[in-house]
This record gives sequence, C-alpha cells and structure tokens, in this order.
Amino acid sequence: MIALEKIKVENQLLVEESHALYKARFISEEQFKIVQKSHPTPKKQKNILLRLGFAFLGILLYSSICGFISLLGLSFIDDSFEVFLFVFAAVGFAGAEFFAKQNYSEQGLDDSFLIGAQLLLAGAIATVTDGYEMIIALFATIVSVLTYLRYINRASLVIFCIASTATIAFSLFEIGVIGKSILPFVLMIYGIGLYFICDKIARNLQFPFYQKGILLVKYFGLILFYFSGNYLIVRELSVELLGSEIPTNSDISFAWFFHAFTFIVPTTYIFYGVKLLDRALVWIGFLCFVFALYTVDFYFLEVAAEIYLITAGLLLFAIAYFSIKKLKDKKEGITFQPDRFINSSDFLHTEALILTSQFGLKPETTTDSPMEFGGGGFSGGGSTGGY
Amino acid sequence: MENIHQRATQTLFDKQLITEEQHEQIVSYRSLNIFSLNAELKIFLYLSVLMFTSGIGILIYQNIDTIGHSIIISLISIVTVICYYFSFNRAPEFNKSQTYFESPVMEYIVLTANLLTCILIGYLQIQYNTFGTHYGLATIIPTTIGLFSGYYFDNKNVLSIAITGLAAYIGLTVSPQSLLQNEIYNTDSLSYAAIGLGVVLILWNYYSSIIKLKTHFALIFLTFALHLISISCINTIIDSDYYLVFSAILGLSTYFFYISSYKIKSISLFIFAVLYGFIGLNITLFKIIDYMNLTDIFEFILVLSPFYFIGAIILFIMMIKKFNSEFKK
Repeated sequence: MIALEKIKVENQLLVEESHALYKARFISEEQFKIVQKSHPTPKKQKNILLRLGFAFLGILLYSSICGFISLLGLSFIDDSFEVFLFVFAAVGFAGAEFFAKQNYSEQGLDDSFLIGAQLLLAGAIATVTDGYEMIIALFATIVSVLTYLRYINRASLVIFCIASTATIAFSLFEIGVIGKSILPFVLMIYGIGLYFICDKIARNLQFPFYQKGILLVKYFGLILFYFSGNYLIVRELSVELLGSEIPTNSDISFAWFFHAFTFIVPTTYIFYGVKLLDRALVWIGFLCFVFALYTVDFYFLEVAAEIYLITAGLLLFAIAYFSIKKLKDKKEGITFQPDRFINSSDFLHTEALILTSQFGLKPETTTDSPMEFGGGGFSGGGSTGGY
Repeated sequence: MENIHQRATQTLFDKQLITEEQHEQIVSYRSLNIFSLNAELKIFLYLSVLMFTSGIGILIYQNIDTIGHSIIISLISIVTVICYYFSFNRAPEFNKSQTYFESPVMEYIVLTANLLTCILIGYLQIQYNTFGTHYGLATIIPTTIGLFSGYYFDNKNVLSIAITGLAAYIGLTVSPQSLLQNEIYNTDSLSYAAIGLGVVLILWNYYSSIIKLKTHFALIFLTFALHLISISCINTIIDSDYYLVFSAILGLSTYFFYISSYKIKSISLFIFAVLYGFIGLNITLFKIIDYMNLTDIFEFILVLSPFYFIGAIILFIMMIKKFNSEFKK
C-alpha cells in the first residue's frame, strides 16, 4: 500500500523526535547524529522556502514533459484531445511513484507532481462528464484519500478536505431547495464528525506515520464546523444559493441560532485549546473569533475603520501587556517563558517582512505621493514579489 | 500530539539511544505541561502596534480641517514623546554588539514611536507644507530617525522601515516633479537607482562587519540588497535593450549573494539568490532565442526542455546538499 519503505517512514518519527530533543538541549549532538545515522528516513524538506522552490522546479519539469508529449501526440491525434489530460495525469502519477521510489516524501518535487496529477485527473473527468460537479468532486475525494495512503503526502489531504466538502455540497444541490437550505447543518455535522472520527482514529492508530495527516483533517473539521454555522457565511450563501433577497426588517430563519453559534463556538475552541494544551486549537479559536467580530461589524456596527483599529489595537496591547506581566515568572502550565521545544525565531523574521511589505518597497509604487509614505501608506502600498 | 512525542521518546529510550537520566528529565519537563504563550503574546503586541498606528494614520487624514483636529495631533505628539521617553529610559546601554531590552514590550514601544513619527512628519508636510517642495525631506527625516533608533535600540523592525524609507526617498527624488504632474516616468532610471541603493547597502554592511557594528543586522541589509538588485535587474532584462549588461550584473550579484549566504548561514538568502539567478538566466536565454529568431528550431527547444529542467533540478539538489553540509559545521 505504501509506496515508501515502511521502516523508513517509521524511522522518520524517531529522528524528528530526537532532533526536537537535541534542539531543546535534552540530548547531545552526538546522540542525535547516532540516531540519524542508524535510522534512514525518507528525504523530506522541512524548510518551507526550499520546498516551495523545489515545487516550482517540479512544476517547470512537469509542464515541460507535458509540452513534449503534446508535441509528439499532435502529430498522431487530430481530435479527442481529452486523451491528453488523462495522459498528463498518468505522467503525474508516474512522477509521484518515481519520487517515492527515490525516497522523497513531502520534498517539493513530489508535491508538484502529486497535486498536478490529481488536478489534471479531475480536469480529465470534467471533460468526460461535461462538467458534472458532483462526480468530479467525488472522484477527487477518492483519489486524494488513496494517494495520501500511498504517498503519505499531506498535500493530498488538503485536496481531500476541499473535495469531500464539495461533494457533500454538490450532492445537496442535486436535491434542490431543501438540500440548499439544510446545507449549513449538514456541513456542520460533517465538520464535527470529521473531528471526532479523526480524534478516535488518532487515539488507537497502528501506523503512527499517519498521525500528522489525521491531525490536519481533524483541524479542518473544526474550521469547517465553525464556518458552516457563521452568521455572515450562512446569510450571504443563502442569498447567493436560494436567490432570495432578505428584506431589511427580517432575518434568515434560525437567526438566533446562528448568532449564538458565531460567538459560542470560537470561545469554546479557545477554552478547550487552553485546557487540552492544544496550540492549534487556540489559534483556530482566535482566528474564528476575529472573524466573528468581523461578522458583527459587517451587519450591526457602523463604526469607522480608524476607530475600530485604534480601539482594537489598544485593547490587544492591554491584554498582551497584562498577560505578559502576569505570566512572566510562571514555571509551569500556561506561561510566558519560552518552551524548550518551540523555536519562535521564525516568527521574529516574518515580523519585519510583514511590516516592510505594508510600506511597499518597490520603487515603482512611488505613484503614492510623498505624504502617503508617512500616513495612510498602510492601506495602500503593495509589496514586491519577494519582500 | 503530545502523545506521539512521548511515545517516540519512549521508543528512543527502549532502543537505548538516550540514557535513563535524560529520559527522566524529558518526562519530568513534559509533565510540567508547559504551554508557552511567548510567541502568541508577542504577535499580539505586534498586531496591536500595527492596528493602532494604522488607525491613527487614517484618523489624521479623515479629520483634516475639522475642529477636533489639532487636539488629535497634539494627543498623538504627546503619545509619541511618551513612547520615546520610555524607550530612552529603559534602553540598554548602547553597545556595538546585540543588546536586548529587559522587557520585550519595549521593542514594540520603540516601533510605535517610530511609526507615529513617520505619520506626524508626513502630516506636517501635507497640511502645513513644512518642507516646501523638498519632498525628499519629508521622507529622509523619518528615515534618519528610523536608522538612529534601529541602531540605538537594536531594533530590526525599525531598521527595516528605515531602509524602505531610503528606497522611497530614491524613488521620489529621481522624479518627484514628473510624478506630481502625473507624467510617465522612466522606469529604467528608477531601476538603476534601486541597484545603486542595493550596492550602497552591501558596502555599508561590509563596512559594519569591519568595524563590528551590529553585525547581526547583516541579514537585513543583504536581504534588502538582494531583492532590490535582483528585481530591478530582472525588470530591466525584460524591458531594456541592454539586457545583456544587466544579465551580467545579475550574474555577479547572484554570485556575491551565494557566497554571502554561506558566510552568514542564511538559507533564505541562498534560496532567493539562486532563484533570481535562475529566473534571470531563463529570461535572458529566452530573449536571445527570440532575438536570433530561432523559431524554426522551436520544436527542438521544446523537446530539449525536460532535460534542461532535470539538469537544473539535479544541480539544485546538489547545491542544497552542499549548503546543508556546510550549514551543519
């Protein structure tokens, strides 16, 4: 089933663990090197920039191979060009297989072939079925699960998350108006179902190397759960899908439920995140909460942006300042002390990057007047591709 | 998640790859259930500063010519002064090497002070025309303050803003009048200016490394220089007729940054240098093919391309292997 050597994939966890222990200064460098030498692992690219770089090269290679094939094929085939899409997808899977045999996993090159193959296959199915969305989504879902199980590449799971949700949505559309109106509830059940199923699977899992992927799907379930019940999304989608204008003095059905949902769910996420010491859950909760505030602002508050920004800034500063003061000297539990296992220097680098991108470095953006630089430049300045 | 880590540690212990003492230490550390909000709270501080200052920035321009206006301005000035007061008061003694504030909050206070300064000076220019037609002054003064604060308080964020200020200054003084009169300005000359600024940054960084002044800023200077030079070169290669000259410059700069990335052990510098070099090379090749009008052998080139890319990929993998092995030393 697995394209990579199973023993190597299993070793991966051990080597990663020993690396974390070494970085946290629990074990010596020699010990880490011994573990690394005695446990061969798949070649994996941990640096996201390098992975993107390789993915870029992979795309170039993939497309040049496809160009090559179409050039050859055009001299033989006059019509029925759909065949090409299938051939291209096959090339992609062959490439993925090749890289797996070369012991690559989540390295960048294999990502581009794997994702490309799946997208092209979906495209091929689309041409064959004349764009029948439900079938395409269903197909993509199945293919993505199978490729994940075989190549253990989480990129497939991202496709799975999107495609499976799309499958459900499109099949409800098939039913008609009733399907469209129960869509939020069905997606909510699906999201929370994903979460609990993944949680259960993760607890007694035979193959620990699937753990990270399962975590990804689990968190996706939570995000989907929130967004399928968020008031803003539900309201806008019901206008969009059911084609009904909502009069100014009335509201969508079950409005009270969605109102409550919009705020209760993020709070619950944050609460349980802190309680279960689950960092990702806290972050998801926080971001959902920000979206909840946006929802409120969108419909009910009519406060100018600057007041909003200033108040939010001051409030956030106060929260952060007092939390730091309170947590500074705590030695266990929730604390401001850096965790030995977490390296936060990445964040400090991105900090400057975000900051400068808001000011717009590109010389060509000087269509801003000189005053713009000082003041409102935050809203405008575009960033250059790189920085 | 903790679960897998604990299990992996147990396996390492079972295989006798870590000692019992270490295992106990790890288990006892994990049992503390440390949930560090270090990065999160810093992000909060950072976001709060950004939101506050952008809010202020909008507020000023929204309320020009209203009654409460001068009150707002004086309030902001007071806030700025307070921020500077705290910054100077709490600042560690200036040192050529890296220094830290006692409290991480202060770094963000310094940042706030500088952003507010930029806003105020920009405002003075637009409202009272303080610097007259010397538009550059409105940019170069905050830039100077930023450079000073960046070095004095050892703050990377402020330094980065100051460098973008320099870039904006150059972009403006090349053709401020034509900009204001809405004329089309010459991109080429701006590109030359950008390359020039990049070179200046490199030279300054070199000089700093000799006199050992805040050498940890090297990454910032080189990153800015790399992006400035490379993007301008690629732009010029696409647009200009003298593309061969700029290809050569890009080649030289890629080589320089490639060497530098080894020196300061920065993988991002390495990747971007190689990537820009590769993009530049491809565009140049394409232009040459286009110029020589080789459309007859176009199909041949298409057939060759997979091999070209495979070669490139192998080359990259080798380079990264070499870099990683150097990195670990």
